[in-house]
Parts: sequence; C-alpha cells; structure tokens
Amino acid sequence: MRIQCNHYERDTSFISAHHQPAIMLDLAMSRDVNSHQLLRGTQLFLEDMLTGHQLISPAQFFTILANGQQLLKADDTSFLFGQRLLPGFYGPASQVLNLAHNLRHALIHLCEYHALLTPLFTPRYFENDRHFFIYWLDNCGAGKQQRFLIEAYMTAVTRMAAKMSHERLPWRFNFTHAEPRYIEQYWVHLNENVTFNQQLNMMSIPLSYANKTWLQSSPISLQLATLGSKVQLGDMGWNRSFLDTLYDYLRQNIQHNLQLESVATAFGMSTASLKRKLVKHNTHFQEQLDFVRKHVALYLYQIKGYQHQEVAEYLRFNDMNNFRRAFKRWTGLTPTQLCHEKCF
Amino acid sequence: MKKIPLSVTLLSNLALFSLCGLGLYCLVGDIKPWGIVKWLDVFAEGGTTLLALFWLVLLMRSRPAGRVTLLLALGLSCFVFSWWMDFLDEFIKVPGTIFWDNWLESLPIPIGLVLLTFGIYHWHKEELAISAQMVKRERVFREHRLFDALIPLGSANYLREQLKLALKEARIEEQPLSLVAIDIDNFSEINLLFGHQEGDEVLQSITQLLLLNLRGQDLLCRLAGDRFIAVLPNTNERDAEVIALELKNAITNLAYKSALLGKRIQLSASTAVTVGMQEEANTLIKTLNSKLGLVKHDFMTVPI
Repeated sequence: MRIQCNHYERDTSFISAHHQPAIMLDLAMSRDVNSHQLLRGTQLFLEDMLTGHQLISPAQFFTILANGQQLLKADDTSFLFGQRLLPGFYGPASQVLNLAHNLRHALIHLCEYHALLTPLFTPRYFENDRHFFIYWLDNCGAGKQQRFLIEAYMTAVTRMAAKMSHERLPWRFNFTHAEPRYIEQYWVHLNENVTFNQQLNMMSIPLSYANKTWLQSSPISLQLATLGSKVQLGDMGWNRSFLDTLYDYLRQNIQHNLQLESVATAFGMSTASLKRKLVKHNTHFQEQLDFVRKHVALYLYQIKGYQHQEVAEYLRFNDMNNFRRAFKRWTGLTPTQLCHEKCF
Repeated sequence: MKKIPLSVTLLSNLALFSLCGLGLYCLVGDIKPWGIVKWLDVFAEGGTTLLALFWLVLLMRSRPAGRVTLLLALGLSCFVFSWWMDFLDEFIKVPGTIFWDNWLESLPIPIGLVLLTFGIYHWHKEELAISAQMVKRERVFREHRLFDALIPLGSANYLREQLKLALKEARIEEQPLSLVAIDIDNFSEINLLFGHQEGDEVLQSITQLLLLNLRGQDLLCRLAGDRFIAVLPNTNERDAEVIALELKNAITNLAYKSALLGKRIQLSASTAVTVGMQEEANTLIKTLNSKLGLVKHDFMTVPI
C-alpha cells in the first residue's frame, strides 16, 4: 500500500500570509513593534503580507511567532494572539464555525479543516459517554514554539466557544509542560481548571455543553459554507501535514511490526529520505512511534477501560515486564500509577 | 531593630576612614610649622574636599536607596577621601621613606572613577526606564497603542513580591491583610464588538478609576488581562468587602463612552475577597482566584 503524498511539510508554502500571520503582525504593530523586525529572517516584507495572495511556510510562520514573542516581551502574547484566531476570517472554513449547530459540530469541523484553521498544530477529537475531548499534536516540528502555539490555539477555541455559546463553559485543560511562572494568564484567559505535567495537551468539555444548540442563522448558509470549505481545502491541495500522515499510518498499523524500513516503503521513499524528513521536523522515527503507542495505550486504558494484560497484548508485547518498561519510557509513569492518576 | 539608613552608614564609615587617615599621618609624620604651609593649596584642596562632601550629601538626600545610589555614593566617597588625604599633607610632613601615603592619596581616585562611571551608566539606564514610564503615563490620555505600557500598574510578578513583603509586615504587626480581585465581566465581548484598541482603552480607564477609589496604603496590580488585584494592608474581611463593593459599584457607574461610536459601554465587574496572614503569597493569590472563578458568571450584557 502506498501512502498518497499530498501532505504539507515544514517548508511548504501554503499558509495565507494575510490570515493568521497577519494577526500576529496586527498585534505587534498595535504595540509599536516595527514590522521589519517582526518579519526578520523570513525573507518577507510588509508589502508581501498585504498583497492578499502571499503564501508562507510553517517555518516562516514559526520565525514570525518567535520574533513576535521576543519583541513584545509579554507573558500574554500567546493568549492575545489566540483570542483573535477563531473563528477568523479565513473564508468558508471560518463561516462554518460561525454557523455550526453546536460546539461539537464546530470542533469536529475544526479537526477536519485544521490545515486552514490551525495549520501549525493538529487537533484530534474523541468522546466517551460524558465528555468531548480534543487534543493537540505538533505537526510541523514547532520546537521552541510549541508552548506558545498550544496556549494560543487553546485560547482560540475557548474564546470561539464562549462567543458562540454566550456563556462561560466548564472546560478542563491539560498541558504536557510544567506549570509556568505566569500561571495567572491561564486563569484569566482560559480558566482555573488547568493541570500541568500531563500526558497530552488536551481540553475537554461535558457533552451536555458540546451538544447545546447554538443560534444559527440559516441552514442553507451552513450548507453552502460547508461545501465552500471542501472546495477551499481542495484548492489548497493539502489537508494534513507529513507528521499527521505518519501518525495516522502508525496508528492504523499499530498492531503490526512497525519498522523504519517498512514505513519508508509504504511512504514510497528510501529510509534515508524518511529519516531526513523526520529530522527536518525536529523528530525521529522512534519518537513518533512512541507517541502513537502512548496515545493508543492511554485511549485503551481510560476510554475502553482495558486491563494491563489487554493493553500489552493489543500493542503486541509478549512480556509484561517489557511493556511496563516501555510504558514508563513513553509516559514517565508505570501503568498502575497511570490508572490511579486518571488523566482524562 | 530599625534598619540604619544607607546614608548614615556610608557617611559614618567615610568619617571613620578619614579619621584613620589623619591618625596614620600623625603617627608617622611631623606637623609642619605654620610658616611653610602653602595657604593657597590649603584653600584649593580643602575646598574641593568640602564640595565633594556636599555633592555626596545632596546625592544621598535626593535619591532613594538602591544600587545606583550606592555606586554613585561610593564613587564620590573615594574622591572625598582622596582629596582629604591630599589636604592633610599640607599640614603634616610625611617622611620620604613612607610609600603608602601616595597610595592613600592616588589610589581612591581611579577606583572612585570606575565606581562613578558604573553608577552613572546605571543611572542613565534608570533614567531611560523612568522616562519610558512617564511617556506611558502621558499616553494614558492621548495614545492607547501600547497595552502593557499604557497600564501603569505592576504585573503579577510585582504583585507576588509586594505581597510577600506585605504578609511579613502583617505578621509582625499582627494585622489582617486583605486581597480584592476585580474582574471585568464580558471583557472579551468588548474586544469583539468594539475592537481590541477600545478594549485597551477601557482597561486604562478602569485602572484610573480603581486607583481613585483606593486608599493611600493600598496597592493595585494587574494580574493578567482584565483581572486586577488590590492589596489592602491592615484591613479585615468585612472592610475589604466594603471596598470590593465600592470598586464594583464604581465600575458599574462608570459611563465609559466608546471612542468610535460615542455610545456608552455598560461595564460591570465581579469581585472576590480573601484575608491572609499565615498563608504564602502564591497560595493566597490562588485561593482568591478560585473564589473569583466561583462568583464569575459571564453573560451578554454589552449593548450594541
């Protein structure tokens, strides 16, 4: 089986400069930051950003964000940036968010059209009988910008949901990083239910809130906007990143013996090319594989309610000791500790 | 025990060193007969010593204690000491076999120059910072471009440091210390409806308003976004609740006009109060914040 290679990479120019990058520019300029300084290292000029058809790569966007962070020197930059991101003005994909039936609908749309709405991080969702979960994965090797982007995108979703629901929603937030010095920004821009040092960057909301009907103006507009989003995504040519594709492939084949060589063959490239591509995205094969195994294990434990033995068998571990050791490497916890900790 | 001010410590040390210098010269040297004293030199050198001392006193009186003041004062002290020794040798003849008298006279000058240069450099930086602050204060009324700059309040970090000190004081004086959190309702709606610039201006006006409604000993800081915290020393919970209500009412009654539309933006706020004495600063802020989370109810009140 060959994987179709219509995924974007770190250096693929597909992000409209006048969409989310322009929001950073706006924010920076409203604080008297010079646009040349903000665009330093991107080989872009203000005029390019304003043409309305300039496309930039994730790498260039990362540079803009890093510059912005450095120039604004404030703890709330990511949150202020995030506040302005969604639903945004990115064409039909944004309109659907404005017209969605309910929060659940909007979030599923967000996941499907993330290449347009949150191009630098991939939101993925799952639900159990009580909660709707959305977790975020780095998709272009954000490196040092990871925390900034997580803060921004989670703020973006929270703000959009509050705006459309007309109420304060009981979100819960989990972050993989340690509690930052500026915890008050999380309290004010997200809410008090924030937990750090967790397994996933994830936000969750009770289904009762996710399914509450939003006031929508017109079903026909929604239908047209949904159609428009499809065309928009089709025109762009990319709907997910290389790391997304790899993650999906690994997840689908997690019960098989996954080796660098076999995966490279499936992707139609040499092992050396695959390795190079992974290095370009600040990662390596084992790390990606461990991510997927960890996520599958967490899902089986906490959503499916599997026992240790069943999880180990599912992931093709013959020996429980090996499984425990591997699990500890992925999560920093033993399987028993994790079950006590309840991270969802 | 009361802390001895920097100026007293420094001046008494300088006096001590000068006396030691005098003592040393008297020990090894002979007093010159009046006839050979060069009076012009006495006046010139004595005058410079006195002037340097005058500068030192002025500096100490006009500047708050701190690193810059200390550097400048130490630098000037070196000059005073060096010129004092220079002055002394007009009256006391030190035998040529002694080498250290020259050292005592000359060495403090380069040291003093280095210290003074450092001091002036940092003073310059300090001045720049202060000017920036003033510019930001001016902008309050004219230009609302710089959000962080336009809110002339301490940040959460500043709050933590100040709260630590205030808590220590409260424990010593056995007085309750209260904290009030003030959070603007539906602030994100204002940003959405009127734009972020208008939002910044609202925050600025509220800052001024809250400051006007607080007492002299209180401290107002901006925690983050649209959330403020007032530190109220020597205040019990009931008094703090009165103040919280006053602040809340002040915000509700503020007839803020949108710059763009000229229409009033109806504002309201939620408040929470907590009293601390034994708690850590961080815990106290956390408690206050979760209390605020409980009272906060956001609903659409912003008229379009």
